[in-house]
Amino acid sequence: MSPKLIRTLFLLPALLVLAVFFVYPIVLTFYYSFTDFTGVGTPEFTGLKNYDRIISRPRYPEALKVTVLFTVIVVTVQTLAGLFIATLLQRLPQVRNFARAALFTPAMMSFVIVGYVWQFIYAPYNGGLNALMTAVGLEGLTRGWLGDPNTALFAIAIAHVWMFTGYTTAIFLAGYANIPADIEEAGRLDGAGSWQRFRYLELPLLAPSVTINVMLSTIGTLKTFELPFIMTRGGPDGATRTLSLEIIENLFRSYKFGFASALAIVMLVIVVIVAFIQNKYLRGREDVT
Amino acid sequence: MTQITRKLGTWLGNAFVILLVLVMLTPVIYMILMSLRTGEEIAQDPLGLPSGLFLGNYVNTLASMDYVRAVMNSVGITLSVTVIVALFGSMAAYPLARSTGRWGRAFIMLVALGLATPAFVTITPIYVIFRNLGLLDSYIGIILAFTALNLPLAVFFYVGFIGAIPGDLEEAARLDNCNDFQVFWYVIRPLLGPATATLSLFVMLMVWNDFTYPLLLLTDPDKFTVMIAVYRFVGNHNIEPDLLFPAAVLGSLPLLVIFLIFQRRIVSGVTAGAVK
Repeated sequence: MSPKLIRTLFLLPALLVLAVFFVYPIVLTFYYSFTDFTGVGTPEFTGLKNYDRIISRPRYPEALKVTVLFTVIVVTVQTLAGLFIATLLQRLPQVRNFARAALFTPAMMSFVIVGYVWQFIYAPYNGGLNALMTAVGLEGLTRGWLGDPNTALFAIAIAHVWMFTGYTTAIFLAGYANIPADIEEAGRLDGAGSWQRFRYLELPLLAPSVTINVMLSTIGTLKTFELPFIMTRGGPDGATRTLSLEIIENLFRSYKFGFASALAIVMLVIVVIVAFIQNKYLRGREDVT
Repeated sequence: MTQITRKLGTWLGNAFVILLVLVMLTPVIYMILMSLRTGEEIAQDPLGLPSGLFLGNYVNTLASMDYVRAVMNSVGITLSVTVIVALFGSMAAYPLARSTGRWGRAFIMLVALGLATPAFVTITPIYVIFRNLGLLDSYIGIILAFTALNLPLAVFFYVGFIGAIPGDLEEAARLDNCNDFQVFWYVIRPLLGPATATLSLFVMLMVWNDFTYPLLLLTDPDKFTVMIAVYRFVGNHNIEPDLLFPAAVLGSLPLLVIFLIFQRRIVSGVTAGAVK
């Protein structure tokens, strides 16, 4: 057997799975997106009608805005919190391993469970948050956190950040572990204080960890579906209706397979563009430092 | 003087971190405490502690949710997916790790695209394909879907891992007249244990916690995974706390126990997987 044939044989099983369950579906999604497919019968070609609808109805740009806003909040807060905690733990070896594991715990839980538990925490009457605020004399600020359009998206974002801050922290700590000890030592001998070491030595050297964290959380958050699905169903008044929630509702509530496919293609394009730009910018940033 | 300031700083820092950990774990503790109280107690005093070890909620929940069945389903699906993904992934990774031609690079690109593509992009056609093939509501269907979802990560994982195995071992085997398949099976495969262990953690986390795929592909309660069982159960009961919290605890318990035992391995494994 020629070496080339053998290589192909090794790749074949994985190639088959990816072809049937990844490449072929993407092609089909693209095709459906130009049709009025409802899941049964033959799809009727309708040209750009689905895409036109996405642009011309305010509902869909609104969903896109919610998705982007949610992503910006989560990625910013999670990255900064993770960086802060990791930097703190780097300087406190006695509690480092314990805290890293403890903070990681929420990432072991499912969106379903996190959604239900936080939904109850935010509940207007017997929920934990309002009870806590009343107990410390802030009853003026209590509300139905998920029922108020001003707070619903932030409330869900907090639950999401709560889940993954430990993950971000662990990745930053792995970045810290890659910083050579003699560099830190040299900084210390030069009389650099804790803040100076962070700002001029550690932060530049952590650039690869920043790249990984920002890209992972961005890709993960742009497709947010479970938490709004469980906690608010997109309400109140569309304040938490994300793009992926819209896709699933179109698919299994109204059987608009063609239209859902067009939304999915929009999502794919956004994810690819954002990932490409971030990769270019963040990697470029790594080389400069 | 500086010695004292530094000690005080460390002490304050440690205290702050422990406080932070407590605050972050509050929702988990809240979930467990609430699961031990009756709905009436929660309504009267939302922040109160359980008055005793009241397990009535658990009895009620277990009586109406087919928990054991769902756990068996999740475990069985996890094991199947792990075996297939580990085999297919390591096979594909072997030639890719050893030499990359034009097609090899194209394959890696495809895998990278697979890693970044949200499941929502492929979910509609997968649903249609499964329906046409009669794979909806079947173990085989859900196993195939999760396999496809996890395979890109597995390939990446094994390419990095096999790339770090020195070539001398293979050369020696080749001199003994082993063909490529024998080299892979008898020389490479036995060395992949640690990589497979870490990979299986990823698969377990995803299969156990994923919601979207089983929500769309499974409607037969006998085949529900744990999360879908919890969702159907709680959804049917209008968020009553005395059913919600025990179901939430039962749904997370197996993974939390596993995490408690293997925490170091899981944190470093998941982190290393992300960094690669």
